[in-house]
Amino acid sequence: MTAAVPVIRQTAALAWRSIVTTMRLPQAWFPALFFPLVLMAIFTASFGGAPGTIPGFPPVRSFLDFAVSGAIIQGVLIGGTTAGAAFATDIEGGFFDRLVASPTSRTSILTGRLGASITLGVGQALLFIAVAAIFGARVDGGAIFGARVDGGLVGIIVVVVIASLFAAAVGGLGVFLAIRTGSGEAVQGMFPLFFALLFFSSAFFPLDTMVGWYHDVAALNPITYLVESMRLEIIGGATIWTALAGIGIALGLALITVGASALALRRRLRVAA
Amino acid sequence: MSDQAVETRDLVREYKGGVKAVDGVSLTVESGGIFGFLGPNGAGKSTMVRMLTTLLRPTSGTAIVAGHDVMKEPDVVRRRIGVALQDAAIDPYMTGRELLRLQGVLHGMKRSDCRARADVLLGRVDLEDAADRRVGTYSGGMRRRLDLALSLVHEPVVLFLDEPTTGLDPVSRVTLWDEVRRLNVEHGTTVFLTTQYLEEADQLADRVAIIDGGLIVADGTPKALKARIGYPLLSVVAADGSTPDDVARVLAGFGEMVPGAREGGAAVRLPGGSTAMADAVRALDDAGVRFAEIDLAEPTLDDVFLASTGRHLAGSDDATA
Repeated sequence: MTAAVPVIRQTAALAWRSIVTTMRLPQAWFPALFFPLVLMAIFTASFGGAPGTIPGFPPVRSFLDFAVSGAIIQGVLIGGTTAGAAFATDIEGGFFDRLVASPTSRTSILTGRLGASITLGVGQALLFIAVAAIFGARVDGGAIFGARVDGGLVGIIVVVVIASLFAAAVGGLGVFLAIRTGSGEAVQGMFPLFFALLFFSSAFFPLDTMVGWYHDVAALNPITYLVESMRLEIIGGATIWTALAGIGIALGLALITVGASALALRRRLRVAA
Repeated sequence: MSDQAVETRDLVREYKGGVKAVDGVSLTVESGGIFGFLGPNGAGKSTMVRMLTTLLRPTSGTAIVAGHDVMKEPDVVRRRIGVALQDAAIDPYMTGRELLRLQGVLHGMKRSDCRARADVLLGRVDLEDAADRRVGTYSGGMRRRLDLALSLVHEPVVLFLDEPTTGLDPVSRVTLWDEVRRLNVEHGTTVFLTTQYLEEADQLADRVAIIDGGLIVADGTPKALKARIGYPLLSVVAADGSTPDDVARVLAGFGEMVPGAREGGAAVRLPGGSTAMADAVRALDDAGVRFAEIDLAEPTLDDVFLASTGRHLAGSDDATA
């Protein structure tokens, strides 16, 4: 038997290809950066007076601090949709067939795409934090390990880890939908649904200011807890438990969607080849 | 290792709803040649290629490609074959060189080997000048040549080309033919090529199988297939006071008359081919029969297709244009 072709190198090569094609296509990366930043700016301008005046609003230096984590989650969601659509385009266009007809490991077809999603998600999180920092937000770092962390480095790491796991989760969902529908348009068509999911969470407004069934739905939405966990790292009040809760939920979501996409890929390859 | 590049036995692929795209194909392709798989759209060509390249599981039957069973050892087959599929989109935002290097990595080649191999292949398909341009700026012919180069990165033993020139202009088509021929002659790569163009099969392939409705209806060298149709047809049009009957009387001595094949003249099947044609012209002269037009038509693969299926091959006009 021939030695197994190294999966890691193939994953890296395919991730590199996905990132390069994303970066060279403005329609692929622009929405994922533009919309969250614009929304963050609009909300900050509109609700700048909310902290401290609206009952239920958490203590926070500025609305901008409050809005950063929602923007990151939103950006990752948009990026994940684009990644799913790109994967579907690979299936439609024949790139997928070229991979399958070559000795490329089946694992790296999936890990390559997810690796790109994670890398882009990390980049987005860092960029949004940087942009917000320029306009006045600061990562507080909270009270992780009971001590205030200089420069909020641990806080940033927690935010980035959650963002990257969530990127894997959304990427996994995108790939799953791509394999099941085989159509980039179908995956893009899911986008409004994701957006609704985002609005039915505490991504833009605190859970405590919501009322009625809207509050109840948002309280059940896992995105709420991801956002809350990241937010506490930024506005202060995080503990190791809030950090672990966010990481745990993101990891759980990632395991579910990546697992589903792996099964879908295996099924597709078994039926086909 | 067998000497056969491809060997299938009773290969069947049935799609949902019971449609048999490939309905029991037994085919042997010897190593070293260019094999032309000819058939109209929807005949089962692409389904056949997808099964032989491990992309599609056969419903029943067996297929050995490059010495290995596509069902039992797909990974070994994948290492030994090159595949350029019909209309495969190539990343428009990447350059030709980037794509070739990526393909090398995917085949497990060392980084330095990937670089060197990309350079060699870019030279071979004459894309050196365009190597660092994005594929989106390439012409149709350049993309097909890059596609061909991508399928050659790992020096495959058997190369599958699914309709490599469909949609190409005549000049690009001829350029690609030359490249495929060179590949076959200089590198000994066996080529399995599907086409809906008669001329392509005729020009390029040393063996042709015609598929229609999922079944092989004819299989052999282009020459043998055409010979099976019959002898070349000599048609002569009468002129200057000579009648079609005058022409027919003379031609009748040279072979089997084909009534109604030529308006205002007569036509005959010539067992003697072009040599006999000279004799026929002399005989017409000697008999004082005057004629305006004369032509000798060799049977074409379209005649073969017509004889095998009762239909003309769609797109044959296009191919001979």
